[in-house]
Amino acid sequence: MRSLRTRLIIGIIGAMLLLLTVFSLIVYSVIRRALVNQFDQSLASTARILAASVEMDGDEIDLELDVQQMPEFQRPDRPSYYQLWRHDGTVAAKSPSLGKDDILRFEGPFSTPVFRAFQMRNSRPGRAVGFKFSPRADSRDSNRQTAIQQALTLVVARDAGGLHRQLSFLQSLLLVASGVTIALSVLIAAFVVRQGLRPLDSIAAEIAAIKEDDLAVRVATASVPLEIAPIKDRLNELLSRLEDAFKRERRFTADVAHELRTPLAGIRSTIEVALSRGRDTAEYQTVLSECLAIVENMQIMMNNLLMIARLDACQVTFRHEQINLLEQVDSCWGPFSEKAIGREIAFANRVPNDVTVNSDRDNLSMVLSNLLNNAVEYTNDAGQIWVAAQNTDESVEVTVGNTGCRLTNEQAAQVFDCFWRGDSSRKDAGVHSGLGLALVKRIITALNGAVTAQIDQPDTFKINLTLPGPHAATSD
Amino acid sequence: MRLLVIEDYRPLRQSLTKGLREAGFAVDITGNGQEGLWYAMGNEYDVIILDLMLPGMDGLSILRKLRAKDRQSHVLILTAKDTLEDRIKGLDLGADDYLVKPFAFKELLARVRALLRRGYRQKNPHIKIKGLRIDLTRQRVWRGRDEISLTPREYVLLEYLAMRAGQTVSRADIWEHVYEFNSSASSNVVDVYIGYLRKKLERPGKPSLIRTVRGRGYTLGAQP
Repeated sequence: MRSLRTRLIIGIIGAMLLLLTVFSLIVYSVIRRALVNQFDQSLASTARILAASVEMDGDEIDLELDVQQMPEFQRPDRPSYYQLWRHDGTVAAKSPSLGKDDILRFEGPFSTPVFRAFQMRNSRPGRAVGFKFSPRADSRDSNRQTAIQQALTLVVARDAGGLHRQLSFLQSLLLVASGVTIALSVLIAAFVVRQGLRPLDSIAAEIAAIKEDDLAVRVATASVPLEIAPIKDRLNELLSRLEDAFKRERRFTADVAHELRTPLAGIRSTIEVALSRGRDTAEYQTVLSECLAIVENMQIMMNNLLMIARLDACQVTFRHEQINLLEQVDSCWGPFSEKAIGREIAFANRVPNDVTVNSDRDNLSMVLSNLLNNAVEYTNDAGQIWVAAQNTDESVEVTVGNTGCRLTNEQAAQVFDCFWRGDSSRKDAGVHSGLGLALVKRIITALNGAVTAQIDQPDTFKINLTLPGPHAATSD
Repeated sequence: MRLLVIEDYRPLRQSLTKGLREAGFAVDITGNGQEGLWYAMGNEYDVIILDLMLPGMDGLSILRKLRAKDRQSHVLILTAKDTLEDRIKGLDLGADDYLVKPFAFKELLARVRALLRRGYRQKNPHIKIKGLRIDLTRQRVWRGRDEISLTPREYVLLEYLAMRAGQTVSRADIWEHVYEFNSSASSNVVDVYIGYLRKKLERPGKPSLIRTVRGRGYTLGAQP
């Protein structure tokens, strides 16, 4: 693609060239016509004077001598010639300077001069006028009939070198003037275009100055031309989006680092304190199992993070199959039932037996386990947990609810953010990484479903899942 | 010296408590912000080790409230937040030190000792009073050329008296700074331990170091 600058300059110069050519041609042809006309008028008046001096005396034709001696016919530099024919084609008279040469005979309608350009014997340009007329009759012979029959043809020719010199001077004048104008307009166009495109350069300079580590900068060229303003605005919007994305990434990385620091501090401090003096075997065993527990939690967190990263990068493949939801919920509840009984939490699986979802078994079970784990963790003692489901047209709506919720609706909207924890209900730091629901959201989205959190009554927390129904088309 | 640890991560809280107690400090612990504030308001801790992200109330709010009430305890922020802004914010809100997790336990101990010395305007980690010499870092005590072997309890009591050398220290002060909140000991334990200390420190024919100020308490190294 050519540059805008070249394109503009070529456009301007092309238009100038076209205009100048048309203008020059018009000027040339108008002036040429005027000059030729003037030449022809002078030629015609000479012819008329000559014709008026022709006297017919019977068959004799007389030309007055002083007319023959007219300066036009005597000038050596731009000589004129005449020749007179009778109507039968015989030459009645001609310039003495013609010698044996003849002028080409031509004529127009009676008493109307006709003009013609020709090349003279000495190859100089010339113009001639042909004129058919009836000569003045001798007063002694007044036979008009004869006069008409005796119509004569007069051709007067003149060297047109001067006219041609003038015209070619005009040509070269116009050419030079056009050339100079074009040359000047190239310079002016280049200047104007450069000035006109300067805002682009300044924007380009601003953009070039934006570093990837400081995306808070915006393109702020104060007096941006109207045409570039939308580009500037879109660019700033893009920068905003990029900045947000980068901020999210950075916050996520910082959060990960932060979340890893705390358990690391736990391991390090536990080991250092243990090593600070001699201990007995039982004490070492306690320390080691404490560290192991921390490491196991870290491992769970790393696995969740890895899973989230893979889901974000669309690197997880799913194997869809028909799954009976009732059975799936029961099998996911298994590991939590003991803990729930210990805290007198009532669990109700209200999923109808005929509800089937088309989903990936491992991932669906990860989702359900996460939700049930959260529910057991945050339900009040002697509270309730339930799972309900119903078929709609294409999909299955699943609800996992629990009592004992102390979140606000505002907080409920945040539960799917990475590392978010309902702080006040956080029982033991390090055990919950704040990744469970973030993972749930990503898995459900990847499974073509949707998930929302909701506070129903003041203390009831509900997670609503929309899953593809048994007849949903699988799209991997 | 009495410390308060406010830290919600159980493994860290446990190891801190264990390590600090073994280093001779009286340590109160809590994993909840509000509880932590309650402890800090109600007792004269020498140093409070404060996590920032806490359930109940975050660490910076605790700090703000403590300083607003003019509590003089030294506060060491112990957190995973490591950015410059976080450090500056913490220190500007009135914290005395800032340590980022994970940390070396020995460094934490050294910083706590430094804060204690600062609290008692004691720049020199070696205290000398009338032929009594205490190495605060290694927790060793000499009288003249003889090293005196003390139990941790006895050492802590001596250290506190030495930090406030020349002042009259009440039994309540000793109780407040040397014993833990949940300690089952009663206040006459102080008198018992003062007795132990005297037995180990005093030398016949030399001026006594620990004097009883009737009705007010004890003083170490004051001129008779």
